[in-house]
Amino acid sequence: MIHVRHLTKHYADLKRGKIVALGGVSFDAMPGQVYGLLGPNGAGKTTVLRILSTILRPSGGTASINGYEVLTQASHVRHQIGFVSTNTAVYDRMTAWEMVEYFGRLYGLEGETLRARMEEIFDRLQMNEIRDMLGAKMSTGMKQKVSIARAIVHDPPVLIFDEATSGLDVLVARALLKSIAELRDQGKCVIFSTHIMREVEKLCDRIAIMHRGHVLAEGTLGELCETHAQPDLEELFFHLIQDHDYRHAIVPAG
Amino acid sequence: MNWRNVKLILAREVRDQLRDRRTLFMIAILPMVLYPLLGMSFFQVTQFLREHPVRILVVNPPPAGELPPLIDGDRFSGTLFSPGDNRSADLLRVTSQSAPQDASRGADAWARQQMLEGGYDVVVSFPPEFALRAKAAIEPLRQDSGRPEPELDVSVYPNLARDSSRTAYRRVSDVLLKWRDELGRQNLESRGLPITAAKPFKIATHDVAEKSQHRAAAWSKILPLVLLLWALTGAFYPAIDLCAGEKERGTLETLLSSPAERLEIVWGKLLTVMLFSIATAVLNLSSLALTGTLVLSQLPNLGPPPTLAFLWLLVALVPMSALFSALCLALAVLAKSTKEGQYYLMPLVLVTMPLVVLPMSPGVELNFGNSLIPVTGVVLLLRSLLEGEYLAVLPYVPLVIAVTVACALLAIRWATNQFNSESVLFRESERLDVSLWLRHLVRDRGPTPSFAEAMFCGFLILLVKFFMSFAMRAPQSFADFVSLVAITQLIVIALPALLMAVFFTSRPTETLLVKRAPFGMPMAAALLALAFHPTANMLQAVVQWVYPLDDQVAKTISQMVFQPDSIWMLLLVIAVLPAICEEFAFRGFVLSGLRHMGHKWTAILVSSLFFGATHALFQQSIVASLVGVILGYIAVQSGSIWPCILFHAIHNSLAVLVQRVIGDAGQRPEWLQWILRDAPTDGMLYHWPVVLASACVSTAILYWFHRQPYARTPEESLQEAIDHQSAHWMPG
Repeated sequence: MIHVRHLTKHYADLKRGKIVALGGVSFDAMPGQVYGLLGPNGAGKTTVLRILSTILRPSGGTASINGYEVLTQASHVRHQIGFVSTNTAVYDRMTAWEMVEYFGRLYGLEGETLRARMEEIFDRLQMNEIRDMLGAKMSTGMKQKVSIARAIVHDPPVLIFDEATSGLDVLVARALLKSIAELRDQGKCVIFSTHIMREVEKLCDRIAIMHRGHVLAEGTLGELCETHAQPDLEELFFHLIQDHDYRHAIVPAG
Repeated sequence: MNWRNVKLILAREVRDQLRDRRTLFMIAILPMVLYPLLGMSFFQVTQFLREHPVRILVVNPPPAGELPPLIDGDRFSGTLFSPGDNRSADLLRVTSQSAPQDASRGADAWARQQMLEGGYDVVVSFPPEFALRAKAAIEPLRQDSGRPEPELDVSVYPNLARDSSRTAYRRVSDVLLKWRDELGRQNLESRGLPITAAKPFKIATHDVAEKSQHRAAAWSKILPLVLLLWALTGAFYPAIDLCAGEKERGTLETLLSSPAERLEIVWGKLLTVMLFSIATAVLNLSSLALTGTLVLSQLPNLGPPPTLAFLWLLVALVPMSALFSALCLALAVLAKSTKEGQYYLMPLVLVTMPLVVLPMSPGVELNFGNSLIPVTGVVLLLRSLLEGEYLAVLPYVPLVIAVTVACALLAIRWATNQFNSESVLFRESERLDVSLWLRHLVRDRGPTPSFAEAMFCGFLILLVKFFMSFAMRAPQSFADFVSLVAITQLIVIALPALLMAVFFTSRPTETLLVKRAPFGMPMAAALLALAFHPTANMLQAVVQWVYPLDDQVAKTISQMVFQPDSIWMLLLVIAVLPAICEEFAFRGFVLSGLRHMGHKWTAILVSSLFFGATHALFQQSIVASLVGVILGYIAVQSGSIWPCILFHAIHNSLAVLVQRVIGDAGQRPEWLQWILRDAPTDGMLYHWPVVLASACVSTAILYWFHRQPYARTPEESLQEAIDHQSAHWMPG
């Protein structure tokens, strides 16, 4: 479903010079699976997801979604994905219904098909109360629901959540994780980035631990703990990070 | 491009903007209230603008009696004004003073002190015993003998830096002239001569312009200005909200990951901005027309605007709105926030305003040259159309349309490129730290310069050259000319490029294209320079026909070509030195950096514009830019600087040699008469068949260059892959 091979991304930064945001990332994610990208800030998670969403172009390597290459078949790829970004990203002067309808139409849905699909989504996500509410008046939880509705309106096989729980309160975050689990159960391939380990433990079927543009370890939680002889994810995470920084002679901050 | 997506984006953006109170205020409410308020304010302010009395100090006024009356109490005599015009007399309050001025001080200083201390607007000083001397002056006339006395001086001291003093000066001058006429008439009468002896005729002015023409002329100066100003303003604010606002809200990422292509997003947003730009301009014009009809029709010389004017304004509005909207969109997408976006308005206005205001200058009319200037051509065309000069402007209409459409398309292309640039879309707000930045330039230098470094080098050369032109005096001799060219070429043009290549790139020789050219390329470049010469000569002649050279400038250029004895020195200065220095700078450093854009032709065009701009005269710059395109193409196709230097040196040498060696028709061999002819004004031209043959051969050689393989930059290869994919992908 998602195949990423030796993906690299370089850019220039005034302070740090030439930055290697991704230094050859590879992984595979399958349908009916939540694939977690776990890493601290600056690990390269957002860069990977932006490349998969065709927002950024990779400097090297390949990535394909449902058989379509992100670099050369970007238009096809965009039809295969639903993207929910870090910020809730809703239009202030549009209602929930208008926003979801707008994206539905951009994905080629029309008339009764679109309407029926929207009714179903609004029922499932319990959004009927905010149907005619303008984005500017919505709470963060409401905005996040609209973002999900917008991302799934065209029923894509792949869903990309980029730190979607960031800044949400516990109740809203819990509801979001529940929605993601439901999407997985429907057979979607979900790729989910976060730096919160509890979410990964609870939700993800496979995990890639990222740090400084590299995948340090990849597999199921059980496999990873066993391979690296660590008792839980938190210990595994710190072990891998410290080991990587030590090998690259980088003294960790703090 | 999928127009369905464009329509969807357009509809969403329009609805979004119509729900924004700030936009509604700008496009609808402000125009509706602005002009009626301005109209009302105009009449309110008028009462304060009425003419106020001015104070005049008259020193040593001639006594009443034998001379015509000048002063009557504290006014000038009523006989010096039109019968019944008491108001004009009241506006001049006169104080007479017989005391002699302080001889220890200069007359100017004394008058200034009087004005300062006494509050006078103008001081009028009659010479001592004016009456006696005035009478004495006409004695020879009375006796029919002798020579008349020299004219008497009546000194008037205004302070022309002050408005009230300028007004007073104008009024008092009228009075004194009238009094002088009276005095002259009295003198003539005393000799028994009629006034017509001194004034045999009057000038009677009969304005043939109809009232409607005056009205059209007045409105033709106002309406285009209002139209373009509001078209720009109306485009800018929605553009900021649609781009920077979308970044701020975080919705841009979502939109970019949707099936809408970047081009469709740009067109959707562009059409929205255009719509609001047009709406703002139309509403402003409508409100202005209403106010003009109701309020300004009260004024004698400015009735309501002609109805037909609005038709022309609407026709011109569409391309101008497209141009402004695309420019605003491209600038707005640079901004990271709406606040930052506001700062970009001022540079845009500063560039646009001179182009809008230039046509308002006296004597600037629609001609071939002006019609090629963006924005200015449209304003001049509108002015002429509003004044009803349809036939006169007809030849220039296609030109103005072509220039405006070309500019709009270029601006749209720029906006699209901005939306395709990751560094623009995901730009972080950065603190400006010059030392950090310089360290970054040296530390992270690539094999060839970056796009920004190339642009910096181009602008640096232009800037230094601009200041140099003021610092160095104009050459008085050929030696001066040689020094000027050598300093300009070596220090201003070549040195920055060479230093930047050494310090800011890791492979200076690769940057400056210092490598062996592929076989045959130098020969082909040399042949191209020879073949292209008649075409270049014709282009130069056409440019000088459109924008004629000042006579003095033409003479100076001619002197520089014919003055020196040594032709070799002339060739070294005009051909060889510029060929080496300019090629290393513009085809070497600048073009190498610009090619990182990923668009070969854009890089060639921009580098040739820099090259053209370094030439001193505008007429030279145009032709140099065209030649720069050919040089840029040779550089890209050959990957070597040597064919470019060869072409450049031969091209410049021919320009000099043809003028110098065979420019003199008397010494020209017979066979050359079949090729060359004297130009109607100055210099010489090739016959048309020669020019045609030159263009054909040049095209053939350029085609040969086109067929040669060339080394692409990584960005150009990627862009080609993407273009190829876009061209072969059909939405399914």
